[in-house]
Amino acid sequence: MIQLRNVSKEFADGNKVLKNINLTINNGEFVFLVGSSGAGKSTIIKLLLKEMEPTTGTIIVGDKDITKYRRRDIPFHRRNIGVVFQDFRLLQDKTVYENVAFAMEVIEAPPKEIRRQVPIILSMVGLSRKSGLYPQQLSGGEQQRVSLARAMVNSPSILIADEPTGNLDPDMSWDIMKTLVEINQRGTTILMATHASDIVDKMKKRVIEIENGIITRDEMKGGYSGEA
Amino acid sequence: MKLRTGKFFIREGFRNLKRNGTMSTAAITSVIAALLVIGIFFIIVINIDYAATKLESQIEMMVYLEDGLSENIINTMETEIRSINGVKSVEFISKDVALKNLEKNWGENSYLLEGLEGDNPLPDAFLITLSDPSKASAVALSVSSISNIEKVVYGKEELAKLLNATYVMRISSAAIILILLFISVFIIANTIKLTVYARRREIGIMKFVGATDWFVRMPFIIEGIIVGIIGAVSATAILGAGYYYCSGLIKNQMIGLMSISLIPFKQIISSMVVLLIIVGVVIGAAGSLISVRRFIKV
Repeated sequence: MIQLRNVSKEFADGNKVLKNINLTINNGEFVFLVGSSGAGKSTIIKLLLKEMEPTTGTIIVGDKDITKYRRRDIPFHRRNIGVVFQDFRLLQDKTVYENVAFAMEVIEAPPKEIRRQVPIILSMVGLSRKSGLYPQQLSGGEQQRVSLARAMVNSPSILIADEPTGNLDPDMSWDIMKTLVEINQRGTTILMATHASDIVDKMKKRVIEIENGIITRDEMKGGYSGEA
Repeated sequence: MKLRTGKFFIREGFRNLKRNGTMSTAAITSVIAALLVIGIFFIIVINIDYAATKLESQIEMMVYLEDGLSENIINTMETEIRSINGVKSVEFISKDVALKNLEKNWGENSYLLEGLEGDNPLPDAFLITLSDPSKASAVALSVSSISNIEKVVYGKEELAKLLNATYVMRISSAAIILILLFISVFIIANTIKLTVYARRREIGIMKFVGATDWFVRMPFIIEGIIVGIIGAVSATAILGAGYYYCSGLIKNQMIGLMSISLIPFKQIISSMVVLLIIVGVVIGAAGSLISVRRFIKV
């Protein structure tokens, strides 16, 4: 479960990006987070990853209040949340396999476990045949699938996708969405921030719209711009 | 920390070094330069210290005894003096020996002393050498509390001056070495900052997949330590060769002119290897720590 209770965020320059946000996302949900640029979407993501602290309010992830976490707890908190970004953030000098394995190495997973888990996750995203290639040898869609594999390899219970289709053409975007749905069907909660109206409209999932730091809409099976 | 994690760090550390060949060479060069300066300073300081210690150890104390003491009493006095803390050795100089020494010193004027053999006016004495010259006044006090002693004489003021001079020298050289250390740490921090900068994406990725701060830092610290060790070994080789050459020169040219003696090569080289490697490792690790700090806060 993800829960924001009376969360506000004010930057040092006095800019209030979030104003008293209340929000609950249950386990296994698939949620779109929409709104214009600067509305506060990425601030919510940063708060959930604990890259930032809220000015006021509490944030619950799982059953823990993450605002109470200390700095040394943060890595362990992040292991429970997979993240993918618009720009993929892959290591160019590592192969597909190594990029995914890296996520396990850095949390000190046993090598046996790494050798077992990486091929499973690569076949899940349909990249088994390309595991020896480098990112620059792949299409954008494939690169995003590598980053999805990396996000999922440690079996997090939450996946946060920050504009995952922002750099992809429509066909590739649908590929990624299919994979996301599969991941969601295996029980992972998905929170996806996006500007892709066609995707949101077709998926018929829960949509949370945020404008000027306030939630303006929260509807099940919603569309990108509401019913109006 | 798990063993395989240690291996991962070392592997990554060496990989960093190889990947940024030019940067690594620059870092190693700056370590060598810093350690050369520190090493030269160290050599000068310990040689001066060596000479000062030699001088200090030559400080002696004369203890004059009352006249007409039996051999028994003199023997017990000697044992008593020997047991005083700070006394290195005690030598008994009888009045006869003292007179002979005096004759020897006076040379052709020694005829003036003729006729004194029968009624030698010189007292019996103990010649004390000190293990620690700073304890001289305490030793003098203890000695004069023993009965049958006439007088305790030593170069009180000269000793104080010498002690003061060596003290000032030791403190100021420690301060200068400390300053040099700080400078080297910052040179290294700046160099390693470039490797860290080149890998900031990787650091970012490590952080968001949940690597701990230490896990992110370690490869860079290992890199810094490797740079430090390579720099230290090279600097020691250069300094060692230079010292060997110079001490040979001094030995051949200046012997007899002055009583300058350098610490033997073998003796200095072992302590220098240890010192420079420790310093290299510490400044390498400290430099890395400083440069990673900024990038780790994500």
